[in-house]
This record gives sequence, structure tokens and C-alpha cells, in this order.
Amino acid sequence: MLIELQGIHKTYDNGQPLHVLKGIDLSIDKGEFVSIMGASGSGKSTLLNILGILDNYDEGEYHIDGKLIKNLSEKEAAHYRNQMIGFVFQSFNLINFKTAIENVELPLFYQGVSRKERHDLAMNYLERFGLADWASHYPNEMSGGQKQRVAIARALITQPRILLADEPTGALDSKTSVEVMELLTRLNREEKVTIIVVTHESGVANCTDKIIHIKDGIIGETTINTEHHASVFGSETIMK
Amino acid sequence: MKFDLDSYKEISDSLMRNKRRSFLTGFGIFWGLFMLLFLIGGGNGLKALLSKNFSGFATNTIIMGAGQTGKPYKGFEEGRYWQLEFKDVERLKHLFPELSIVTPQLSQWGTVAVNEGYSVNSNMLGADADYQYVETPVLKYGRYLNNVDIQQHRKVCVIGKQIYQSLFPEGGDPCGQFICVNSVYYQVIGVNYSSSNININGRSEESVTVPITVLRDILNTGDAVGMICMVGRDGVKMSDMEPRIRQAVYRKHTIAPDDDEALFMLNMEPIFKIIDNLFKGVNFLIWLVGIGTLLAGAIGVSNIMMVVVKERTIEIGIRRAIGATPFDILFQIVMEGIVLTLVAGLSAIVFSVFMLNALEVIAHHETAFQINFGTAMAAFFLLTILGMLAGIAPAYRAMHIKPVDAMRDE
Repeated sequence: MLIELQGIHKTYDNGQPLHVLKGIDLSIDKGEFVSIMGASGSGKSTLLNILGILDNYDEGEYHIDGKLIKNLSEKEAAHYRNQMIGFVFQSFNLINFKTAIENVELPLFYQGVSRKERHDLAMNYLERFGLADWASHYPNEMSGGQKQRVAIARALITQPRILLADEPTGALDSKTSVEVMELLTRLNREEKVTIIVVTHESGVANCTDKIIHIKDGIIGETTINTEHHASVFGSETIMK
Repeated sequence: MKFDLDSYKEISDSLMRNKRRSFLTGFGIFWGLFMLLFLIGGGNGLKALLSKNFSGFATNTIIMGAGQTGKPYKGFEEGRYWQLEFKDVERLKHLFPELSIVTPQLSQWGTVAVNEGYSVNSNMLGADADYQYVETPVLKYGRYLNNVDIQQHRKVCVIGKQIYQSLFPEGGDPCGQFICVNSVYYQVIGVNYSSSNININGRSEESVTVPITVLRDILNTGDAVGMICMVGRDGVKMSDMEPRIRQAVYRKHTIAPDDDEALFMLNMEPIFKIIDNLFKGVNFLIWLVGIGTLLAGAIGVSNIMMVVVKERTIEIGIRRAIGATPFDILFQIVMEGIVLTLVAGLSAIVFSVFMLNALEVIAHHETAFQINFGTAMAAFFLLTILGMLAGIAPAYRAMHIKPVDAMRDE
């Protein structure tokens, strides 16, 4: 198993303790395309933060590829994030004063890859996503779909074990949402990238092979969705 | 993390993103350093300008001359005239080994020096060869009086700048030529260009200095001398010597020990001390104002960067999410502070050097206002440290931004 969570508990303590995750057990295998669904407040963002080593957890164990991810120092956490995890965010989170290619290069910069090497690699990724002509454009000159593709390129450039997408279509219209989901599907099929999508849109979840429902801090049902008929709104579109 | 071209780009990018703010922030540093360097340069120039007035004068010198007694003593009435003598010179030398120089002086005021139809008012000064250690001559031509001149009663003279210019308007080396002062011819052996404003018995520019033995013969003063100048050895405090010397002279001349008027003593030490202290005070003020302004500038940088870090929370969060270590962030913010400070500071150094140069041109290059290279380098290192300190507080804050903060702020 690539990802293994056992009995994960997380409590936020902002004046009043808030028990968000109440014992999460979850395993995801290499090459899976999984979505985590839940309403707001269900704990899915917290779960995503823990999966992405952005946040600590109080109890339980989290292994990536057999490595225990617990009580890491900030430096170690940064290192693991850089090596193992690629992030795609709802609001793209590109750095506005950097061009598309500079944004894609950035994780390699922090890895210490040489200037030319990372430039070539970044260009390579942009070409694959059909963005070669946009390499020297700034994020505010691009459409939402293009921005998200730049963000995906940035997430993948370090060849991470896991691609974590937090509401990747949240800021996109339905047409580009479909494009982005198709791109993720293609990456999963053709390059065997392990993808975890966090969403509250059933249409988005329907694109994935496995849907994990989370409710009130515990895992509800897990639907195997290889046929892509889970969405009540049909399989062809993503409802907005 | 590698430090290559892109690291510089990261820094310049974020500084250039808000040019006006960076400029205004840097201006605080710029102005502070400019003030400091300009004041240092100006202060040094002023000091040099003033020091010119005392140049060549031994600082631990006492000059004394006889006056009227102020008190009756041992049968003598008050108001008695008395005179210092050559014997006093010998006695003082013998009594006080702390004195390196004891040298007598005779003078005649209001004389006229003549050379081939040119004439000029002058003061005759009879001096020993030792006198050059009290008031250093700046010899443009020839030499100063020596012991042989004194012993052999040679009729030779060293003339001041003004005398030389009046009597030898064509210029050239006057040594060997004769000038006439009060009907006596003296051979010129030297020209003293000293223009120091501390002089004994008249400005050295207007003086004709002859061997004291010659002037004594001409004026027929016998054993009497006009003034005695004394220079203490290094480390001797002349203020402590003053009463001892006074008592030694009083004893010999039968003057009441508590008579303050009989002997006029001018101790140069406290005068130089006052000037010295004045400059110490001025320097202190310069540094206080300069460093204060510079510090205010640095705090300004720190302050603005604090705001910038707050503003950049999301960006920093993103960087952290994609693998920047806290150190990477710390490094970047500190470097931004240093670069901003250095660019502003180096401009300030260049600008102040330029302005000080302009000041020198205005002052016709009479004094050096320019700061030296060492000061500039010291300023440079001070700046680097200041820049680093200015960056530390904001960087510390930036370092503690967590990647989740980026998403929380959405």
C-alpha cells in the first residue's frame, strides 16, 4: 500500500477543543484514482492537510510507502512534501509575479536542481500540457483552465508519489472542469500517477475510480466507481 | 537550496514588485548613511581647517615672562620690576629633567627690514636653535638656526613668509643674500613658511629670527631674557609642572610664593585640551546623529518588511507547500533586507563622496573633507549587519508561516 492511515485523530484547540477527525482508517494503493467526498465541516480538508504533510495529527499512524510520517520537523516535512507530494489547489495558488515556467520550476529550485536542468524539465512539462506558448506569460494573463494546468505541471515536476488535488475544479466553469478532470484521468491511466481528489461535487467524484465518503470525522461508505455511474447527475458532465 | 542566478532574481523580483515602496524604504537608509558620512567628512574637514591654526606647535608647552610683583616680600615693595635671566634657563634645565626643552627668547618689535629698495615692517626674534622644537618651522628654503650660529654670534636670520614675499618679490632662493634690519645686515639662511596662528612674540610670517646671542649683543640686554619656553617630555603633565616651576623661579628672584602676578605663565596644554575636547564632543554628536538616523532607517526597513511578510503570507505558504524549508524562507527575507540596505547604502556612500568632493572644490582644496577608504568600508560592513538585523524580525515571522496558512487565507 502506498498510503496507510490507522486510527488518525485530530483535535483543533482554538479556545474550545474541536475533535475533527475521529479515527480515520484508510489505505490507498499505488496508481489509484480516488476522491474524498464530504460536506463542509466533515473534516475532509483536515484529512487532506494531514495526507499532504501540511498538518500534524494527534493519534494514529500515517505511512507513505512504508515511511512513518509523524512528528516531523518543519525541515523534514518540507523535504517530504517536496519529494513525495504534488499539490493542486482550488485557487491554483500560482505566484502572480512569476511566469508560468518560473512557477513550474519552483519546486525544483527548492530541490537544488541546476538552473538549466530545471528550466528544460519545466518546459518539457508545459509542452506536454499544451502550454509551451504560454511559458513566459504571467498567471493573470491566463484562463482558469490554463492556470490549473500550470499548477498541475508544477505539482508533477518533482515526480511525486501522490498528487493531492483540493477541489481542483472549484474555481472553474463546467467545460474547463471537464478538461481538467480528463487531464487528471489521463495522467492516472497513462502515467500511473496516484491521484487523490478532495471535493464536494459528485460530478467530480464520479470521474474517479473510488469514492471515499467522509462524514463527521469518520469514513463512511467507500464506493468502487470503475463504471463511473455514481453521480446522480450522469456521467457525462460535471454539475456546477 | 542552491544559490544561483535565480536566487538573485527571487530577491530582485520581490523588491521590484513594489518599486515605490522599496525606494522609499531604502531612502531611509540612504539618508541616514549619507548624513553620517557627510557629517564625518565635514567634521574632519573642519577639524583639519582649525588644526591648521595650531600646526607645528608643541602641545605641552609653557611660556613664561616676567611681570611686576603683586605683593611686598622680604623688604621689597610690591610693583617691583624684575627680569628672567639666562641663568634661569640653565637652572630650570638642571632642576627639572621632565622638561625636554627650555629655551629663552628675546624680541624687538616694530623693526623695519630692508632689501634693495624693498622694505617691510617686521619683528626681530632672538632665539636658540632649540626653539624649533617649540614651534616647528616649515622651511621653504635653507635651514633653521643651529648651535654654531648661536655660539659664534653669527649675523644670520630666518625670515617669515611675509618678509620673504615683500623683500624678494621676484621669488627664488634668498639664502646667502643679506637683508638689513635696523642698520644691521644679516645673511638669510632660511625661509619659514609656517602660517600657524599660535606664535610667541609675533606672527612667524612677519618675523626675522636671529640667534639670541646676536640680538642680546645688539640690544645690550645683558643677562635678561624676554620669555622662556618650556616643553615637557612625553607623558609629563605640564599643569602639574606649572606651580613647581613658578616656585623655583620665585625663590631665586625673591618673590612672595603666593604672588600670582609676578610671573606670567601660559600653559598651552589646557588650551589644546579644550580644543581637543571640543572636537571629541563634535565627533560624538556626529556619530550620535548619524547612527541615530541610520538606525531609524534600518527600523523603517524592518517595519516595512514586516508588512511585506504579512502581505506575502499566501505566497510564502505556497512556497512552503511545494517544498521550501523554513530556512529557505528565512534566507530569502534576510537577503531581501540586506540587498535593499546595501543598494541604498552604497548609493549613499557614492553620493556622500561626491558631495564631499564638491565641498572640497568649494573650499579650494585647502582642507580634505573626504572620508577615507577605511571609513567607507566600515560603513559598508555596518550596513550589511544592519540589513541583516533589519531582516531578522520579519524573516522570523515569515519562517513561522505554515503552508496551511496559505489555504486558510483564501
